[in-house]
Amino acid sequence: MSEAYDLGMARWGRTDAGGLGREALAYADTLYNLARYLTRSPTDAEDLVQETYARALNAAHQYTPGTNLKAWLFRILRNTFLSQYRHERHNPTVGGLDTVGPASPGPEPAQWLRGDLELDRLRKVVGEEIERALMSLSEEARTVILLDLEGLTEAEVAVVVGCAVGTVKSRLSRARAALRTLLKDYAP
Amino acid sequence: MTCEEARERLLDAQRDRLTPEAHAAWQAHRQTCPACAHEEAAEALLSEALESRLPQHGAPRGLKRRLAAEWPGTPAAAPGLWGRWGRYLVPTAAVAVVLLIALPIAYQGTAERASAPMVAEAVNDHLRVLSSQHPLDIESGGIHQVKPWFEGRLDFAPVVRFDGDQDFPLRGGAVGYYLDRKAAVFVFNRRLHTISLFVFRAEGLPWPTRGLQRVGGGQVHVTSSRGFTSVLWRDGELGYALVSDVDPADLARLAERLAPPS
Repeated sequence: MSEAYDLGMARWGRTDAGGLGREALAYADTLYNLARYLTRSPTDAEDLVQETYARALNAAHQYTPGTNLKAWLFRILRNTFLSQYRHERHNPTVGGLDTVGPASPGPEPAQWLRGDLELDRLRKVVGEEIERALMSLSEEARTVILLDLEGLTEAEVAVVVGCAVGTVKSRLSRARAALRTLLKDYAP
Repeated sequence: MTCEEARERLLDAQRDRLTPEAHAAWQAHRQTCPACAHEEAAEALLSEALESRLPQHGAPRGLKRRLAAEWPGTPAAAPGLWGRWGRYLVPTAAVAVVLLIALPIAYQGTAERASAPMVAEAVNDHLRVLSSQHPLDIESGGIHQVKPWFEGRLDFAPVVRFDGDQDFPLRGGAVGYYLDRKAAVFVFNRRLHTISLFVFRAEGLPWPTRGLQRVGGGQVHVTSSRGFTSVLWRDGELGYALVSDVDPADLARLAERLAPPS
C-alpha cells in the first residue's frame, strides 16, 4: 500500500481499512447513477466509477475528515469524466449552459393563464420522458440538476463543479427552466 | 418584492433556506401574484417529477463486488509473518474482508432503499397539497367536524390525537393516496407554513427500522429531503407521515402531540 494511502488512513483516523471502505462504498449506487447520466453508457459508467474509487484511494490523504465525503467523491468522479471520458469517448456537448442565452425570465403575465397546461403536463410526465429531457441537456446542466437532486447544497455543488456558488445558482435555475421547456414540448 | 426577486428566491423558499422575514415577504408576494404562484407550483412539480419518477440506476452487483475486493484492500504484511500459511490465509482473509464490507453495506443499503419510497411519497404528497388550488375537501371547524367527514370515504378510521391549537391550527382534511392506498390528509398550519399529516393503513409497507427516535410513547423516523422534513411512524395498524418545510423543531413539537403518549 502506498504512503499516500497510509497518510490518508491516518488523517481519516482509521486503523481498519474496512471502515473506510464501508463509508466510501456506501455511495457506489449514487456515484454509478451520476456516472450513467454523464456517460450515457452502463459500461462506461462502471469504468468511470471504478476509476473514481481508484483515484479516491490514492487521494485519500487530500480528504478532510468531517467534510462531505459524498461531495468529495462526486468531484473526483466528475473530474475523471471530464479528463477521460467526455473527450475520448463522446463528443462534448456543444455549448455549455454558460454559453446559452440568459435564462427565461418566466412566463409573462398573459402566459401564466396558459400555465395550467404546463402544470397538468408536469403531473403526468413519465420517467422515460424526464430521462430523455435530462439527457438532452448539456453536461453542466445535467450535473447540477443531479447533484442538486442528491441533496448537495449549492456550496457543495460549487466545490464539485469548481465554480462560484452564484454560478451554481444561476446554472441550476437555467437548467431547470430548460428542463421545463423540454418537458412542455413532449406534451401530446 | 418584485417578480424577478421572488423567482430568484423561489427554490430557496421551497427548501426553507430563507430567513423568516424573507420567507414571509416571499409568501406575501406569491399570494398576490398569480404568475409567481404558477412558477412555484411548476417548480414544485418539477422537483417531484425528478425525485420520484426520474429512473435511478443502481450500481451492478459485479461492480460492487469488484470495488469491495479492490478498495480498500488489506495492507501488505511483512513476508516473514505469513510464512507458508500465507497462501491459505490471504484468500481466506480476502473473502472475510469482502464479506465484512459487502454484507453490512448490502443490509444497510437495502434497508435504506426499501424505506426511501415512503419518504419520497410523503414529500410528493405534501407537494401535491401545496400545489393544489383546492387541497381541502373539508374546511376545518375543528377535529370533531373533520374526522366524521371521513366516514364512508376510507376503509379505516383515522385516529388523530391532536385537535389543533393556536400554534398549529387545523385547516381541514381531504382524501388522498399514499403509495398504493387511500389516506386521510390533515392540513395544519404553522404561521405561514403548511404541514401535511397523512394517515393510512400501515401493513405491508417497508417501514424504516434504523435511526428511529423516541417521541412520546412511539418511535419515529425523521428525514430531511428536498428541504422538507418528514416524520414517519406507526401506531398500531395505522401509519403516519408528517411533512413540512417548517422549522424541524416546530415539526417535532407537532409530532409529539400526534404521536402515541408515553
